[in-house]
Amino acid sequence: MNYPVWDVAFGAGLLMALVAGIHVFVSHFAVGGGLFLILTEIKARRSGDTALLGWLKAHTKFFVLLTVVFGAVTGVGIWFTIGLISPTATSDLIHIYVWGWAIEWVFFFLEISAALFYLYGWDKLEPKVHQWYGWIYFWTAFASMVVINGIITFMLTPGKWIEDHQFWTGFFNPTYWPSLAFRSCLSLSLAGIYALITASLIKDADLKARIVRWASLWTVPTLLLLPLCAKWYIGRIPADLWASAQGAMPTGSRFALYACCFLGITLLLALVALVMPRRLHIAFALIVAVAALGAMDSFEFVRESVRKPYVIANYLYANSLYSAAIPGDGGFTVPGVNQAGVLNAARFISTRTLTPANQVAVGHEIFRVECQACHTPTGYRGIHQLIEKRQWDPDKVHAMLGGIYLMHNGVMPDFAGTDAEREALVAYVNSLQSIHPAEIADGHEVYERNCAMCHQVKAADHLFSNLPRDPQQATDALKDLTSLFPVMPDLKLPEGERRALVAWVNTQRAAFPAPAAPAKGGN
Amino acid sequence: MFDPTAVPTIDPNPLPAPYWVFKLLLIVTFFLHITAMNCMLGGAGLALFARWRGRTSAYGSRIFLDIAKKVPTLLAATITLGIAPLLFVQVLYGQYIYTSSIVMAWPWFLVILLLMFAYYGFYFVAHKGEKKPAAAGKVMLFSIALCLIIGFIYSNNFTLSQTPATWAQKYLANPTGWNLNLAEPTLIPRYLHFMVSAVAVGGLLLVMVAWANWKRDEEYAKAIFHLGGKAFLYATMAQYLVGSWFLMSLPREMRLLFMGDNPLATALFGFGFLGAGVAIMLMSRAVRTANIRLAGITVTGLTAAIILSMSVMRETLRDAYLKPWHHPQEMAVSTQWSPMIGFLVLFVAGIVLWFIMLMRYGFFKREA
Ligand code: HEC
Ligand code: HEC
Repeated sequence: MNYPVWDVAFGAGLLMALVAGIHVFVSHFAVGGGLFLILTEIKARRSGDTALLGWLKAHTKFFVLLTVVFGAVTGVGIWFTIGLISPTATSDLIHIYVWGWAIEWVFFFLEISAALFYLYGWDKLEPKVHQWYGWIYFWTAFASMVVINGIITFMLTPGKWIEDHQFWTGFFNPTYWPSLAFRSCLSLSLAGIYALITASLIKDADLKARIVRWASLWTVPTLLLLPLCAKWYIGRIPADLWASAQGAMPTGSRFALYACCFLGITLLLALVALVMPRRLHIAFALIVAVAALGAMDSFEFVRESVRKPYVIANYLYANSLYSAAIPGDGGFTVPGVNQAGVLNAARFISTRTLTPANQVAVGHEIFRVECQACHTPTGYRGIHQLIEKRQWDPDKVHAMLGGIYLMHNGVMPDFAGTDAEREALVAYVNSLQSIHPAEIADGHEVYERNCAMCHQVKAADHLFSNLPRDPQQATDALKDLTSLFPVMPDLKLPEGERRALVAWVNTQRAAFPAPAAPAKGGN
Repeated sequence: MFDPTAVPTIDPNPLPAPYWVFKLLLIVTFFLHITAMNCMLGGAGLALFARWRGRTSAYGSRIFLDIAKKVPTLLAATITLGIAPLLFVQVLYGQYIYTSSIVMAWPWFLVILLLMFAYYGFYFVAHKGEKKPAAAGKVMLFSIALCLIIGFIYSNNFTLSQTPATWAQKYLANPTGWNLNLAEPTLIPRYLHFMVSAVAVGGLLLVMVAWANWKRDEEYAKAIFHLGGKAFLYATMAQYLVGSWFLMSLPREMRLLFMGDNPLATALFGFGFLGAGVAIMLMSRAVRTANIRLAGITVTGLTAAIILSMSVMRETLRDAYLKPWHHPQEMAVSTQWSPMIGFLVLFVAGIVLWFIMLMRYGFFKREA
C-alpha cells in the first residue's frame, strides 16, 4: 500500500520464483565448482594426467561463462526483481543489512576477478600461481555465500532480532548454521553434477570414466549428507511454521514431497552414472542436472512456502503490511489499515470513495494492493481457479473471505480495511466467476469444499474431536457454524450436505487411533 | 496518519551509518561504475568503428579484435562495480528508486535479459571473432545496441525517480509496468550526455591500449592512438553541445544551481567546463606530436577528475529535484559499528589483494 504494486498478469510470485530458481542453481555451482576446479587441477598435476588437465581447461571456460555471466547477471536480476515485487521488504533488508551486502560485494568483486585470472591464466601462469588464483576464487565465492546465507535465513527465522534489532543477532539466527551446512553440501554436489555435463562430451572413454568417478566422489556423499542437514535445519524452524510443509498448506507440503523425490532421483541417477562411467551420454548428464534443479528449487519453494504469510517472519507480511505495530511503520499494519481504510491508506489508488457503481473496480484495486503479492485473478495461484475448485457461490465467497487468516495454517494475513471495502473485494472476486453449484451428496466433497482450508483430517483437529458424535445432533449443530465457534464462516449448508458431511466425518473418526489427550488442533 | 499524496514512507529501520558515509560511498562507487561502463561501451563502439573503417586503413580488424577481447572483462567490471552504487542509492533513496522502478517495471526487468544477451554476444566476439569475422561484426553491433537500450532504460528510471509528482498518473494509467519517462524534458540530453562521454572515455581506453603496445609495435600503437585520441577530441567537443542542451533542459532553479546559486555545484561545473577545454587542447597536442604519455597520464587524469566532479554534481542535482520530499536530517541513524568497520577493513584488504592479483598476473611488469 505504501508502494505501488506491479501488476504482473501471470503472477509476480512466479516471476520471482523463476529468476531465483535459475540463479540458485548456478550460484551454488559457482561455490562448489570453484573448489572442484582447484582440487582437480592439483590432482591432475600430481598424477601427471595431461588429458584430465586438458578437459579441466575446457571445463573452466564453461564454468566461467556460466557463473561469471549467467550467475552474476541473474544475481543482479534477483535484486531488481525483489525491489519490484517486495519494495518494503527490500527497503527493510537494505537498511538492516547494507553492511552485510557491502561485504558480500567485496567478496563478489574479488571472486569475479579471480575467476577471470584463473581462466585466462591457464596457459600463461606457473601452476603454483595459477592455483593461487583458484584458491582465492574459491574462498571468496564461499565467503559470499557465508554472508548471503545470513540474510536469507534471517527472513525465515529472525529469532531474537525481533526484540533487539541487532545486526549479528539476526545474522547468526537459528537456521544460520544448518542452512550453511545444507547449502555447502548442495554446492559440492552440484560441482560434481556439472562436471558430468562437460565430461559426457569427451570422446576418450577412459578419461570420461576417470572424471565420472571423480565427480561421483563430490556428488554421492554430499547427497547422502543432505537429508541430515535438512533434519537439522527443520529442527530449527519453529514448529508452527514447519506445519505448513506437513499437510497444513498444500503448496508447502507438495514441494516438500517433490524435494525428497527429486533428491532420491538425483542420487539414483548419479549412482547409475557411476556404474557405467564410460557410456555417460550428454542427455543423461542433463537429466541428472534437471533432477538436481528440481530438488533444489523444490527446497527453495518449501522455504518460501513455510515462511508465508511473511516475507520476514514475525515482522513483515508478503503484502507489505507489518505484522505488529512498530514505531515508524507508517500505519501499515492490519489494525492501522482497518481503522483508516485501504482507500485512505494506499498511496497508488485511483479513487478514494466507494460507491455502489464503482464497487467492483475498487474491489479490484483492493485485491491488487492486498492479495496480489501472492495471488493473481486468473493466473498463478489464481483466485478464480481456487474458487472454482471449491465451488463457492457468491454467498460462500462472502462468508469465506471473512476468515482467510485462518486458512492453511495461517498462510495469509488477515484482510485489512473497512467492512465496506471487504464487500467491494467480495464483489470483485465474485465478478471473476459464475458458479451455481447443485447440492452434493458426497460427504468428503462437502468437507473439501467447505472445511478443508481450515481443518485437517486428524484426530487432534477440533472439527473431528469436538463435533458431536450423534449424527442428528451434529447435523443440527452444523446449521450455524458461528455458534459452534464464533470466527468460523457463516456457511449455510443444506441439510442433505450436512448429513453427508457428518456421516463422512464419523467414518473418518472411526478410523483414527484411540483418542489421545486433548491437543491443540484445528488450523 | 496517512498522507497518500506524499512519497512512500521510509521503512522503520534506521540508517546503519551516518548519511554522509553512504553518500560518499555512493559517489565513489558510482564514479567507478560509470568509468567502467564508459570504457566498455565506448571501447566496443570504437572497435566496431575501426572495423568499418578497416576497409580503408590497415589495422581495422586488428584493432577490432584487440579491443573486442577486452570488452567482456570490462562488462564484468561494469556490472560488479555497478552493484555497489545500486546498493548505496537504495540505502539513501530507496523510496524513490523502488517506486519509479515499479512504475516502469517491465523495461527495468528487461535490463537483465538484455544484459545477458549483450554479455554473451561480447563473449562470442571475443572468443570467435577471429574464426567468424562476418558474424562477429553483426553480433558486436547487436550487443552494443542492447547496451544502448539498457542505458536508455537507466536514464528513464533515474529521471523518473526524481520526479515523484509524475508517478501516480503514470502508474494508474498502466499498472502493468509498461511505462517509460519519455515526456521528461531532460531525458534525451541526459542520456546523450552519458553516451557521448562513453565515446570520449572509450577513446582514452584506446590510448591506454596504444601505450601498452608502444614498445612492441609502434606503428600499430600509433594507429590505435590516433583513433582513440580523435574519438576523445570529437566526443568532448560534442559534449559542449550536449552538455549545454542538458543544462538548458533543466528547470530554471536547478540550472541556476550551477550558475552561482550553489557555490560547490558552480565550482564543479566550472571545473568540468574549463577542464574539458584544457583536455581538448592537450589531447590535440598529444595526437599531433604523438606524445602518448601526455594523453595517457595528463588527459586521462584530468578526465577522471572531471567525471568524479560530475558524479558529485549528479548528486547535487538529485537532491535539488527531491528537495520537497527528501529530508536527510530527519532520517534516523543508528550506526552498526562492527559490520561497518568489518566492511571498511575488508574493502581495503580487497583492494590490496586485487592489486596483488594484477601484479602476479604480470600487469605492472616493465617490458624489458
Ligand atoms: C502471503 C501470501 C498471501 C496473501 C497476501 C493472500 N493470500 Fe490467499 N492464499 C495464499 C496461499 C499460499 C493460498 C493457498 C494455499 C496453498 O495452495 O498452498 C491461498 C489461498 C486462498 C484462497 C483459497 C483457499 C482455499 O484453499 O480454497 C482464497 C479464497 C484466498 N487465498 C483469498 C485471498 C484474498 C482475498 C487475499 C487478499 C485479501 C489473499 N488471499 C491474500 C497466500 C496469500
Ligand atoms: C475460515 C476457516 C474455517 C472454516 C472454513 C471452517 N472452520 Fe471450523 N473452525 C475454525 C476455527 C478457527 C475453529 C476454532 C479453532 C479450533 O478449535 O480448531 C473451528 C472449530 C470448529 C469446530 C469445533 C468447535 C468446538 O466446539 O470446539 C468444529 C466442529 C468445526 N470447526 C467444524 C467445521 C466444519 C464442519 C466446517 C465446514 C463446513 C468448518 N468448520 C469450516 C475455522 C474454520
